[in-house]
Order: sequence, then C-alpha cells, then structure tokens
Amino acid sequence: MKRFYKVADHVFSVDSDIDTPDWMCNYSPFETAEDKELFSLAVRNAIVERADFTEEFHQEEEGFDISCGYTDTGQNVFEFSMGNQLIGSLVCTKDHHDATLVCDDAFKQKAVDNSLMVLYALNTATLGTALFHASVIQFRNKAYLFLGKSGTGKSTHASLWQQYIPQTELLNDDNPVVRIVNEEIWVCGSPWSGKTPCYKNEKYLLGGIVDLSQAPFNEIRPLRGIEAYAVLVPSISGKRWDKDMADGLHDFENHLALKAPIWHLSCLPDEEAAKICAKHVVQ
Amino acid sequence: MKLKKGFVLREICGETVILGEGLDVVNFNKIIDLNETAAWIWREAERQKEFSVDGLTEAVCNEYEVEPETARSDVNDILTNWKELGLLE
Repeated sequence: MKRFYKVADHVFSVDSDIDTPDWMCNYSPFETAEDKELFSLAVRNAIVERADFTEEFHQEEEGFDISCGYTDTGQNVFEFSMGNQLIGSLVCTKDHHDATLVCDDAFKQKAVDNSLMVLYALNTATLGTALFHASVIQFRNKAYLFLGKSGTGKSTHASLWQQYIPQTELLNDDNPVVRIVNEEIWVCGSPWSGKTPCYKNEKYLLGGIVDLSQAPFNEIRPLRGIEAYAVLVPSISGKRWDKDMADGLHDFENHLALKAPIWHLSCLPDEEAAKICAKHVVQ
Repeated sequence: MKLKKGFVLREICGETVILGEGLDVVNFNKIIDLNETAAWIWREAERQKEFSVDGLTEAVCNEYEVEPETARSDVNDILTNWKELGLLE
C-alpha cells in the first residue's frame, strides 16, 4: 500500500509490501493525503543480495555501515550493513526520485529509516533544506539546535534543558530538518529521532544553534563567519562530491552562518551548563 | 604542478576560502582562508591547469604593479603553503 508523508513541507511516498505498518509508526504524524511527491520509495521484503556496483564512498558509525556507489547503468546504490550482515539494498534513479529498497524483515525499520533519510537529504539539498545531525529543543516557540560529534552529549544537554529550564520541550533528538523559507529559518521535527521516540510534526523559527564540546568547565562564546560555517558542515548530511548538491548546501550553510545566532559551548553535563547556555542563547 | 582535484574556491560570509568537496578529499575537514592575492593566484592556477612558479609569477606581474622578485617570492610562499596542506599534486 502506498502512503504519503510530508516532512518540512516536502512530500514523499512509501509503497510497502510488508503488512501492518506498525513498525512505521514514527511516520504516522507526518502522513498526508495523496500529493505530488518529491521522491518515492518502494519497500520489498526479500533476501538481500549484494548488488554489482562501483563503490564511491563508505561511512561507518557505531557498527552501522553505509556503502554508496553506482551501477553500470548509472543507478545509485546504497547498501546498509550491521556488523558484517547486509540488511538492506537501496537502488535509485540517477536523479534520486524513484527508489527501491530490498530489506531483511528483522531489520526493516532501520533499513527504511536510513533509506528515507538518504533520499530526503539528496532530494532537498538544492531546495534550501538540510537534514541535520542534532538534538533540538523548543522553548517559548523558538527552536534551539545542539550540534557536536557523536558522543559529545547533544541528547544529554537537551535533557538538561528539559530538567532545569521550565517549559522546554524536546522537538527531535537526532535528525531535525532545517529549512529556509523567504529568508526565515524554520526548524521542523521529523520521523527520525535516533534512540528517542520523539516524532513531532511541528515547526518553529530558529532561536539559535549551539555547537557542543566536552570540557571540565562551562563556557559559551558566539561564533561568526567561517567559524560558524565550519560547525555546520559536519552536522549536515549530503553528497558533497555532487556539484549541484554541494552548491545547494553551501548556499544554505552560508545563509545560516550570516543570519543565525551560532555559539560554541564548552560544557560539563550539569545544571549550570544548561542555565549558562539558556541565559546567552535565548533572546 | 596541478591543483588537486576536489578542492573548490568558495565565498563564506565575504571571505574567500578553499574547501575539500571532491570524493578523494571529502574528509579534508579544513577550511583554508585566502587573502585577495592568494585567491587571485588560485583562480589563475585553475585557469592554467598545469602551472609553474614562472608562469604564475608572470601572470601576477601582468595583473598587479609589483616587482618580479616580490611576485616570485609571494608565489613561492603561497605554493609552499598549499603543498604542505596537500592542495597540490
């Protein structure tokens, strides 16, 4: 059955032959009526076999592996593995609009989530939209993004705000979408939120972006220009060796570096860190 | 000499910089800030494709009012720096 979803006002469809879409409940808040889609994914449950393709790029994080490349006929291939086990094979047209995922039943959710994140990032990079790797909270109707390398404590810092800054709510804990519309910067929830089930179909104007690093003290300072740009790049997914996408992401990052309040917070995982951060960042 | 494939010149908040965006250099993880002369030489090197200190010095002398010795020394400094950063091949 084919269903339509709208994330940050971009529509995509998923046509799955796997019954009872309970395992796709993270997408329910984003379901929408049939609409013109930016891209479509067909999900097929079968034994996953390695495709014959030329590998371009390989990425490994916490035991999850993505290998990407292209076939002789110019289709794009993404293979997802956990440890040494292949759990999904995504093949899409050169323009990234039509894709098919063959996945193993035991890992279908992981395979579908990663396929849709890859497709979403590829299809929106030229549309003033970026899929961030960040934890984001909402406070007084503005969104605040926390960036940092894996293991820095983005989620921890977001939970410290929830604990010590009254009226703070988590918007997304892993992959929010940021979109520029008429010069305004909007932060949107998404169906992808890492280990925290927080799938909110809500959007807020950006209040600020905070890049985190661990330290034996708490200290915050504003970032400008190139320094601000530099913290955005590693937090945004994209295929930067594709010129159009690199151009789109660069324009996006440059706009944020010029217009958004961006900070660096050296911090401990404590109450003071959240309070110092809120005091400077919230206008 | 050649500029290594995958490095691109971009404007960030009014500054001219070099970024690694190609497949071979996508993990470069550095942003190289260029002053006006260095940015001009980068564009000239892109235009010449295969270049030498002599060729770039000559181009700089044609563009700017500068003594050939000064131009040569600037070009040398800039290329040495780029070589150390791995931007050349």
